[in-house]
Amino acid sequence: MSETSAADLKRELEVLLRRAEVAVPADRMDAVLAGYGDLKRLCALLRQPRTAAAEPSNTFSLVTLMKGA
Amino acid sequence: MSSTTKPLHELSIAEAGAALRAGEVTATALAQDALARIAALDGALNSFITVTAERALADAAAADAAFKAGTDAGPMQGIPYALKDIYDTAGIRTTCHSKLLVDNVPAADSVVAAKLKAGGGVLLGKLSTHEFALGGPSFDLPFPPARNPWNPEHIPGGSSSGSGAAVAAGLCRMAMGSDTGGSIRGPAAYCGTVGLKPTYGLVSRRGVFPLSYTLDHCGPLSWTVEDSAITMEVIAGHDPLDPASADVPAPDFRSGLDGDVTGLRIALPRHFFAQAEGVSPEVVAAIDKAAALLAKAGAIVEEVTIPDYELFNAVGRVIMFSEAFAIHEKDYRERPLDFGRLTFTRMILGATLSAADLTQAYRLRRELAVAVNHQLLKQYDAILCASALAPAARFDSMSDAFPPNWPIQTMPFNVTGNPAMSMPAGFSASGLPLSVQIVGRPFDEATVLRIGAQIETALALTGLRPATAALRQAA
Repeated sequence: MSETSAADLKRELEVLLRRAEVAVPADRMDAVLAGYGDLKRLCALLRQPRTAAAEPSNTFSLVTLMKGA
Repeated sequence: MSSTTKPLHELSIAEAGAALRAGEVTATALAQDALARIAALDGALNSFITVTAERALADAAAADAAFKAGTDAGPMQGIPYALKDIYDTAGIRTTCHSKLLVDNVPAADSVVAAKLKAGGGVLLGKLSTHEFALGGPSFDLPFPPARNPWNPEHIPGGSSSGSGAAVAAGLCRMAMGSDTGGSIRGPAAYCGTVGLKPTYGLVSRRGVFPLSYTLDHCGPLSWTVEDSAITMEVIAGHDPLDPASADVPAPDFRSGLDGDVTGLRIALPRHFFAQAEGVSPEVVAAIDKAAALLAKAGAIVEEVTIPDYELFNAVGRVIMFSEAFAIHEKDYRERPLDFGRLTFTRMILGATLSAADLTQAYRLRRELAVAVNHQLLKQYDAILCASALAPAARFDSMSDAFPPNWPIQTMPFNVTGNPAMSMPAGFSASGLPLSVQIVGRPFDEATVLRIGAQIETALALTGLRPATAALRQAA
């Protein structure tokens, strides 16, 4: 990864963490950043060609919901 | 060696149950033997967080009284067992191995704890885990990490680390674990035990601290395939108060323990593990040997292809981190430094994911579950593959890098929800256990156990146990 893209990745992570209102101690930031880079790679794999009709696995079901009511 | 001449701790649940019913041993003697073994060995293994000696002896006395009165609550009556310390136990602390819950004493039992109690089981205590079933192995938590009985310099796997270590060391015959991405099957693989992740929804999760609602499974680790089958008889069943619980009849878990695999069609996705990063040739050879043994016993074993592992991994990790962070969000804001370093740096990744990421993960999850169940398992009765890709790593090789540097291939079947079992398949040149994973159709644990029973008989490894002399000295 280039120096610029590494800096961009870190800036992006910092924005997301600020939005989530969580603070990362300085000595844990490198590990979180490494994990974030890998998770971004995995997120890209989730985007597969599919139609709008492709439902998620956990579609809302009243039958399931009412079972434990 | 017959069951009557074996040391008590080597009796399986089935053997101990027969001895109890024949009056050859008492539940109190089994409990005392287990407590003495824990006292002698666990100082070197750290598998227990809390030993419930008084409770164990009271449970054992009650079981002995029941036998005397002719009352039989089932196959766990009088049998010592232990629970991963994320299972709620009324009046007994349930810490999740975390500073955040170090004083947590639940008012009620988890469903599984209640079923084992009602079944006459003898609770020995609560077992080490990775913090909140995710981060570890860690040395910055209130309790030390569990160690591998085959070599304490090596990790036992996780997150059901204490469960794997305790069963392998013969401290108990069965320990309950939980599995969100491999947390039953990983420790089973590294510690040389059986570890069964049942079908999603078959065992109630109520009262077990969640890591990821849609990926969490509860199941047993045991020394033998039969002992996992027996445990499932007691713990499986519909729970209307668990939203994921499946309202299906409980299968007959012991129906296939004769191990007859004649005519079974078994899929072998060899590319999936043999070409994976970090795979050990010893693991590949062990799986090939198991496949050959099954073919020799009459099964039809055929090589197949399944979707790329990284797709399952992406789905599993995005869902797990999203759901886990949602559970712990408040503590991340208010008590962040009370998490151990590894838990903190891994779980916080959930804060970076978008709603679209999570929805795409759920969409791909459906597609992968269809690929495995509708395409592959319509033609085959089971899948034979790897659980751990290499023997257990050394503690001093661990880093806080993500993902952790101990490769396993268990997440796919948390994503699909199929029953999956890791079991011993041999030993590495360094003397550490090797394993295979057997995956079945939903609610067809009986076939998974049937295939496991055949491999167990053919390999005849159950008589090989970790040497304890060094552990006694180190304890």
